[in-house]
Amino acid sequence: MQARLLTAVVTAVAVATPALAQDVLRIGASLPLTGNFSVSGEKHEQGYSLCVDLINETGGLIDRPVELLVSDNRSDNATAISQYERFINVNGVEAVFGTFSSRLTFPVASILSRNGFVHPVPAGGALRIYTQGYEGIYYMQPNAAEYVGSSLRDLIADRVDEADRPTSVAVVWADDFFANAVAAGLLGQQVMDPADGSLVADLAPGYLVEAGLEIQMEERWPEEGFNDWLNLANSIKNSGAELIVGLTASAEEASQLTRALQTVRADPKMVYLSQGTQAEYYESVGNASNGVLVHTSWHPNAPFEGVLGGEAFSNADFIAAFAAKYGFDPDEDSAIPFAVCQAMAQAITATGTTDNSVMDEWLSARTLEDPVRTILGRFAWDERGLPIGKPFLMAQWQNDGELNFVYPLDEFPGTADLVYPKNGWE
Amino acid sequence: MDQIIQVAVLGIGLGGVFALMGSGLSLVFGVMRIVNLAHPSLIIGGAYIAYWGFKLYGIDPLIMLPVCAVILAVTGILFYKVFFERDAKSATYSEMTVLLTFAIAMIVEGALGAAFSNTQRVTSPVYATDAFFIGDVFIPKGQLYAGIVSIVIIGLLAAFLKYSRLGYAIRATTQNREAAALLGVNVNMVGLMSFAIGIGLAGAAGALTSFVFSFFPAKHWEWVAVLMSLVVMGGMGSILGTVIAAFSLSIVAAFVGTWIGSTWSTMTFFLALFLVLLFRPQGLFGEKPELV
Repeated sequence: MQARLLTAVVTAVAVATPALAQDVLRIGASLPLTGNFSVSGEKHEQGYSLCVDLINETGGLIDRPVELLVSDNRSDNATAISQYERFINVNGVEAVFGTFSSRLTFPVASILSRNGFVHPVPAGGALRIYTQGYEGIYYMQPNAAEYVGSSLRDLIADRVDEADRPTSVAVVWADDFFANAVAAGLLGQQVMDPADGSLVADLAPGYLVEAGLEIQMEERWPEEGFNDWLNLANSIKNSGAELIVGLTASAEEASQLTRALQTVRADPKMVYLSQGTQAEYYESVGNASNGVLVHTSWHPNAPFEGVLGGEAFSNADFIAAFAAKYGFDPDEDSAIPFAVCQAMAQAITATGTTDNSVMDEWLSARTLEDPVRTILGRFAWDERGLPIGKPFLMAQWQNDGELNFVYPLDEFPGTADLVYPKNGWE
Repeated sequence: MDQIIQVAVLGIGLGGVFALMGSGLSLVFGVMRIVNLAHPSLIIGGAYIAYWGFKLYGIDPLIMLPVCAVILAVTGILFYKVFFERDAKSATYSEMTVLLTFAIAMIVEGALGAAFSNTQRVTSPVYATDAFFIGDVFIPKGQLYAGIVSIVIIGLLAAFLKYSRLGYAIRATTQNREAAALLGVNVNMVGLMSFAIGIGLAGAAGALTSFVFSFFPAKHWEWVAVLMSLVVMGGMGSILGTVIAAFSLSIVAAFVGTWIGSTWSTMTFFLALFLVLLFRPQGLFGEKPELV
């Protein structure tokens, strides 16, 4: 009798164990926690983890607890690819969150598309990623990197008196997937498909020419191993350009460039960087940041109303929850992945399944009237997976450490006055 | 003309920092035949010590330099005892150390990331972003101070190697380990002390780089190739060669960056490495390898 009871218990446990294991909804994310992109990768992990924790606190998704699997891809393309394949084929994840950077996203997109997974991209703005015909890819920032420059053009047109506008520009950028893409838009280059060399987009004449600027200097630095910042800054200074455009691949490069410009006493009217909203940027450069413009997808004061766990969850809620969990304030690099997680959670909740083809159908059917709602605002996408109707925010460091948004003017209240011209380097 | 002088000044400034970064690497190879790929990661360790000294207590990184050097030297002793001493007599010791130090570099990177996060850091004493202006030519104070301190430290090291008893032993061991042992030199102790000094130099270099470059745990991968090119060009084990290579390549890189393009300035180091390996594999001051 006892033996029979024991057998029954063992059998029940054996049967129940896979059922319990299957009950957990696993989501995989390969992130650059070490290597060149580690600064942003770590923040992405924080954003994803916070979101999953909050979801589990409210009962999980479709009545299942969510488990986040994160692997460190060491900022390496091949590792990122193999980790997503492992998530899918070994770990049995039912959904994935995207990785950081265009360079890593480009190869990963192919793998996820081939496996039929919805691919929400937190940071991978190069237009070429979205012209490969991949199904189920959704970008979670306002637009492709090639179109970022339109915000700078419009800011100059709308916020600077015509007589006082900068007339010349020096453009320097990292030889990086993302920075090259932003430069292509600003300089009016052609974007080619790397697979067959076909034309993806002709961006001529470029946003800088459209803004009436004469290009005095174009210079690109290598993606890795570049240390000669003072020499570069000296060349920028000698160009005499009134607008300096620095397209850096990371906040670290933005700090190096800013410090070098400060050291050589370059004296432009306006400085625009593609990175630099992060707290550590301000810590590195201090009040030399005053007047520096940076485009951003997120801002702490933006009154975006999102949804999480079926209930309203605003940008302010995110900031409070983040500070409570980590003990410091979030920045863009944590906010964007949080929005990625929100989008996926809404897709799973709305469809009641983790069938990626069904989720893809639901996400692609979003419209501006019936969008995905996140702490980055509303999202609906075109057929390529790029958001529609979303402008980048232009933020400016002001008043010794405040990052205020200065453009666009009519998106929401609270737009600060533009500090122009930049008043030296304090 | 001003522009030529300016570019040369910037090259010299960068070379001064690289000289100290490469000297410890060269010393350790010269004495121990250890190709220390972990050296740049230990420089990052020194930079973090300087950063937190500045951040928490406002101590200037130049003042923190001896502290960084001592802490890293002690770390070097521990590393030597744990990782290197046991296999020092192996016929394939140098080859083994390449893999071993690669692994150590990854461990150090992971430990620094766990301890200090992957957030970028830089110390910001006032002089780090200031400059002396002589007419239209500027001399960045941060690089100037770092370069002067580097030269002083390397000078002291050279004097130590030339005039002290331990220095004699280190030089003897560098030239011929077996002969030095036969003449009564305790080559194991010399190896231990050389390793400690070499890693101590990494700590000192870390204090200087903390205000010249921003850094984060993975930053060392960007430096390892540059430093190896300096050491190979100078001649593996020759500190003088490393210093000359650091200054000459940095100056050439500065001119290349200004007149050809920034993309090519970094390439300068690797092109030099390629040419040296092709035409003078022993480097400027290294010994010609013996044919077996």
